[in-house]
Amino acid sequence: MRHYVQHIICLLSVIIFTACISEEVPENTPAGNFEALWHIIDTRYCFHSYKTDNGCLDWHQVYDKYRPRISHDMTREQLFEVLCEMLAELRDGHVNLYTSADVGRYWKWHEDYPENFNENLLKYYLGTDYRIAAGIKYRILDDNIGYIRYESFASGMGDGNLDEVMHHLRLCNGLIVDVRNNAGGTLTYAERFTERFTNERRLVGYIAHKTGNGHDDFSSPEPEYINPSNGIRWQKRTVLLTNRSCYSATNTFVRNMKACPNVTVMGDRTGGGSGLPFSSELPNGWSVRFSACPMYDAGMNHIEFGIAPDILTSLSTDDVLRNKDTMIEAARDFLNK
Amino acid sequence: MRCRLFLILLAVCSLASMAQENDTLPPNRYTTHGTLFGVGTSNLFDTYLSPVTYKGVHLSFLHETLRKTHWCEGRVSTQSIVDGFLCHTANQANTAKEWGGKVNYSAGWHYNWLIAQRLRLMLGGEIHAGLGIIYNTRNSNNPVQAKAEADLDLSFIAIYPFHIRKKPFTARYQLSAPMIGIMFSPQFGQSYYEMSQGNYDHNVCATHPFNAPSMRHFLTLDFPIAGFTFRAGYLCDIRQSHVNNIKSHVWNHSFMIGYVKHFGFTKRKESRHKSFIM
Repeated sequence: MRHYVQHIICLLSVIIFTACISEEVPENTPAGNFEALWHIIDTRYCFHSYKTDNGCLDWHQVYDKYRPRISHDMTREQLFEVLCEMLAELRDGHVNLYTSADVGRYWKWHEDYPENFNENLLKYYLGTDYRIAAGIKYRILDDNIGYIRYESFASGMGDGNLDEVMHHLRLCNGLIVDVRNNAGGTLTYAERFTERFTNERRLVGYIAHKTGNGHDDFSSPEPEYINPSNGIRWQKRTVLLTNRSCYSATNTFVRNMKACPNVTVMGDRTGGGSGLPFSSELPNGWSVRFSACPMYDAGMNHIEFGIAPDILTSLSTDDVLRNKDTMIEAARDFLNK
Repeated sequence: MRCRLFLILLAVCSLASMAQENDTLPPNRYTTHGTLFGVGTSNLFDTYLSPVTYKGVHLSFLHETLRKTHWCEGRVSTQSIVDGFLCHTANQANTAKEWGGKVNYSAGWHYNWLIAQRLRLMLGGEIHAGLGIIYNTRNSNNPVQAKAEADLDLSFIAIYPFHIRKKPFTARYQLSAPMIGIMFSPQFGQSYYEMSQGNYDHNVCATHPFNAPSMRHFLTLDFPIAGFTFRAGYLCDIRQSHVNNIKSHVWNHSFMIGYVKHFGFTKRKESRHKSFIM
């Protein structure tokens, strides 16, 4: 017995004393940083298969394309340029490379499309005496349509703010929620806002996450629901104005609102950005952000490349010259019918 | 595997029970309290947060209570330890920081033998629980890694009292290693946002020496100054895990200093000395 125990203790000691949990990190050289970045995206990025299936990405081909451009004597700026070009192959606005000097980015999701928004026109609708509740600007337009301008989901918004807004607009015939150029922020605010537009618990989409290094290693998608708010809820028709610069949390907000009754999405397709971003880093200390958890709509469709509006409208140059916002006017006409 | 580890613990305890020696101390209720504060180095690694290692310094504390029981003719002693640390670390390029902190509690029971007149060996088990956090200051939706664990540890203590110029000194070494337990871990790419929505995915994992080889070495020297007993020590706390495809380690090396207090029902000096050698 004593012998047996001694053997076991020896074996455990060997395991415990020799098992060092760590990982080999590539050297801090241009090649090492390239390999580290390619590996991080290869193992942790969540849209490989989706984008490969759409014919717009082959990450191994990307390696073959950019690896020859890496040399040991290249400067930091040259390395940054090559790595950013490589990341741009992902076509993902949630992918960034951060250095102390610059931020590598992909902005073609809105740069390649009509802007459909003119900040200068807002003053003709909001005026100067509009109300401000946390991040929400709002007022009642001349035709008794409520107008809410929400510029960023990074701006906080509490239930108390929303109660005040809904109470002030309660007598309006309809409501315009303008989230154009809202590039996202906190998902919690997007959920909190949506809760004002439903009287029952609604399935709005699904979310999953990676469980391993493989491109298809995902968890089972978990349903996401919106519960009705206990505060004042909007019961009349609503138009949600969108454009290509609606991204990330705003994209999720549009997804959620599309599941609500009496809500019509007008404007342009949203910019997308349905992957919850995570961060990692390279041996040289540069930080990289990438999409890690894919989110889907209620039909389990990807919304990474945006959500189509129910009614397509765009900003007319002629209207801009007349100080009119075509899209707001279209929303007013729709709500006044 | 769990069954095997349980059998190992059982076997060790059985061996301890069988080995009866005639070196029993008179039963009493001596209690030794030791409180230490320390500084040292930390080495943090967690692939959920970053693939690179963060290194820095930490402040730590440790409070220990060692008490003889009446069990097995006074051969069994109990030990409880509360310890914790707060560290500040940076990556090699010094472009990002990580803060870490953790509090541990362990309660242990040891069976002791007196070897070669002075050397006392103690073998037993501990119940350990720990709660902590690592915070990366620049990450987006994965800025934090929560640490929560509970395990059964195997523990070994060697105590050697000696005198220098008639002053009592005590050297002690303790090794503790978790054998079986559970720990919290997010899934490989799971966000805390998902968990806040109630979406869990194998977030409580079983641990054993093959997926969480951890251990703690604690070396101390008790020495008297002006009628008080002080303690200087070195604590090497190695906590590691590889669960849910996430590799993690926290390696802490602390140099500690503090004081020791003895409580008992006798005032005899010799007995006081014996109290902390148990």
